Amino acid sequence: MENTVIKIENLVKRYGDLIALDHFSLAIREGEIFGLLGPNGSGKTTTINCMLSLLAFDKGNIEIFGQKMTPVSYDIKKQIGIIMQDVAVFNELTVYENIDYFCGLYITDKAERKRCVMEAVEFTGLGEFLKFYPKKLSGGLLRRLNIACGIAHKPRLIILDEPTIAVDPQSRNKILEGIQKLNRMGATIVYTSHYMEEVEQICTRIAIMDKGKKIAEGTKDELKRMIKNTETITVEVLGLSEAVRNEIIQLPHVYRTEYDGERLTVFCSGGTHNLIRVLDVFRTHEIRVGRVYSELPTLNDVFLEITGKELRDRKGDSHVLS
Amino acid sequence: MFFHDLKYFILSQLKTKNLIFWLLLFPIALGCFFRIAFGEIYGNLTQTGPIPVAVVEEKDNPVFRSVLESMKGLEEQFLDPVDLDEATALERLKNNTVEGILYVNDKLRLTVAEDGLEETMLKKFVETYTLRETILTDAALTHPEKMEAAAAALSKDCHSVASVSVTTGNTNNFTQYFYNLIAMTALYGSLLGMQICFNNQANLSALGARKSCSPISKAVSLAADLTGAVLLQFLCMAVCVTFLVFVLKIDLGNRLPLVYLAACLGGMTGVSIGFFVGSIGTAGQRVRTGICNAVVLLFCFFSGLMVGNMKALVARFVPWLNEINPAAVISDSIYCLNLYSDYRRFGEKLAAMLLISLLFCILGIIMTRRKQYADI
Repeated sequence: MENTVIKIENLVKRYGDLIALDHFSLAIREGEIFGLLGPNGSGKTTTINCMLSLLAFDKGNIEIFGQKMTPVSYDIKKQIGIIMQDVAVFNELTVYENIDYFCGLYITDKAERKRCVMEAVEFTGLGEFLKFYPKKLSGGLLRRLNIACGIAHKPRLIILDEPTIAVDPQSRNKILEGIQKLNRMGATIVYTSHYMEEVEQICTRIAIMDKGKKIAEGTKDELKRMIKNTETITVEVLGLSEAVRNEIIQLPHVYRTEYDGERLTVFCSGGTHNLIRVLDVFRTHEIRVGRVYSELPTLNDVFLEITGKELRDRKGDSHVLS
Repeated sequence: MFFHDLKYFILSQLKTKNLIFWLLLFPIALGCFFRIAFGEIYGNLTQTGPIPVAVVEEKDNPVFRSVLESMKGLEEQFLDPVDLDEATALERLKNNTVEGILYVNDKLRLTVAEDGLEETMLKKFVETYTLRETILTDAALTHPEKMEAAAAALSKDCHSVASVSVTTGNTNNFTQYFYNLIAMTALYGSLLGMQICFNNQANLSALGARKSCSPISKAVSLAADLTGAVLLQFLCMAVCVTFLVFVLKIDLGNRLPLVYLAACLGGMTGVSIGFFVGSIGTAGQRVRTGICNAVVLLFCFFSGLMVGNMKALVARFVPWLNEINPAAVISDSIYCLNLYSDYRRFGEKLAAMLLISLLFCILGIIMTRRKQYADI
């Protein structure tokens, strides 16, 4: 049986009348990349802060490496690497000095520390920027510095709280690759994000949070199997008659359609060759269609079906949630 | 861990532009400004000399005349008397060419226009003379043959007002601006003290939160950062005093090592105040820096940095304020060092600074010692 690295039981955290964590429980096993997915305000960072004993909570129990976590659990803290949501570095220290400072809080031996710092520098690709000050670094490099400061001491457990916010796609990919590499090197990873693509890409297990509650947990495939929808087909078509729509909804595995005058969306549950059957209907009626898409369900669909709302805010920036 | 944290605290603060400005550049610039503004007056006043005084003889007083004559022959003249009629004397007092008017009658009376060291010395002279005159009158009645010797003794006693009341230090009013400048620099150490809270409190900064997650204990971290802040402030105070004394040639007296000591202790007071201010509430860094600057300037205002006679006004109307105003305590400590030959008052001021530092440090530690927060 795999070792449990983090065990959270019935965690309750209140901010006045607001319940930030509502009887939240979680077990993270050694060697996992565990994703905590949820919109802003769902309680991800609160969970992390409680885990690290920064936040006092009202009820519940947290164990890390089999021991109760308290603010003075220095032996446990030595084995944890934390990458905060907000970049936490000294603006007045260079890249090297920053990594050395944080590494020095864990490793006292100078020679060992120097080796660890250089390995972290190499890992994050900051070699060219050792003498740079944080203000001179781009957003992506700054995030990488933040990560280097958190991993230099080679922790067994690495907690990353939204590490890719405001990072360009190229840097984001590098960060995600790095996280997977750290996991392959033996670290257990806890990764919080509201970017479902990232969580889908790297996490071996995922818990979806909303309003301080865990609403679903499992691998991405397990989560997707929880919902009815298995395929969404979108067809650009003008002037579609009610009769044709009725014909489409009669097709096997189709359980719902939506039409806005320009675009028909067909929701399917199970089955294969759904797209071919839908297109056959158009061909039979000699209806010309524009672009056609077939999409498998995403974690957003899972979130949408469970909570009735979207995980991602489509009104604003494509990466920003409400 | 302690020395690692100490090293990086000092290194990071040495590179903080804001602190370099407020703790080094601003005091130096203000010192230069004061030196330029008061330069000529300061130069004139640092030269000690006899106090010009008008003598209005309302009635013949041979004893007083004899005292004045005997004082003229002394190597270090204390008074520069000039016989005038009352109208002229008042005119000269008005335009500051004399420090006071001595009305000679059966009793000696003094009129001065303002408060100051020279005026205080004149008052002391009159008090001493009046006391000795009574003794002399008795001597004249009982032993007239010893009258001449008694008069000589009286003149010596009166002259002792000058040599007993002041030290060889510089006591001119303009130097007090520089004392206050030192006090202001010391209190700007509050910015360093405040930084300790930002580096250690999880509810104030990401850095504080990050540090709180690491295995360094809060006690060690606070001790290291406090030590670093105090050491840095000592350095800044040393630079400030050295610049004033050796570059601007400000006469801070002949007990310079003690001036350095007072400045450094003042700096420690500043750090402790900042540490306390930083530990209260959850306002952001900019707000707190603003509060600290405002508090420092307010302290310095009541200490007389902006208005020369403010301290005298405070001493007159709210005397207790000078005892608890850190800026006043710091500037007074250096002032006492220059004014009094003994160390009692200086010691009292140092003790007050230590007490204030201790108080604010303890309060700051009480506020920052918690390791978990209700909200971040």
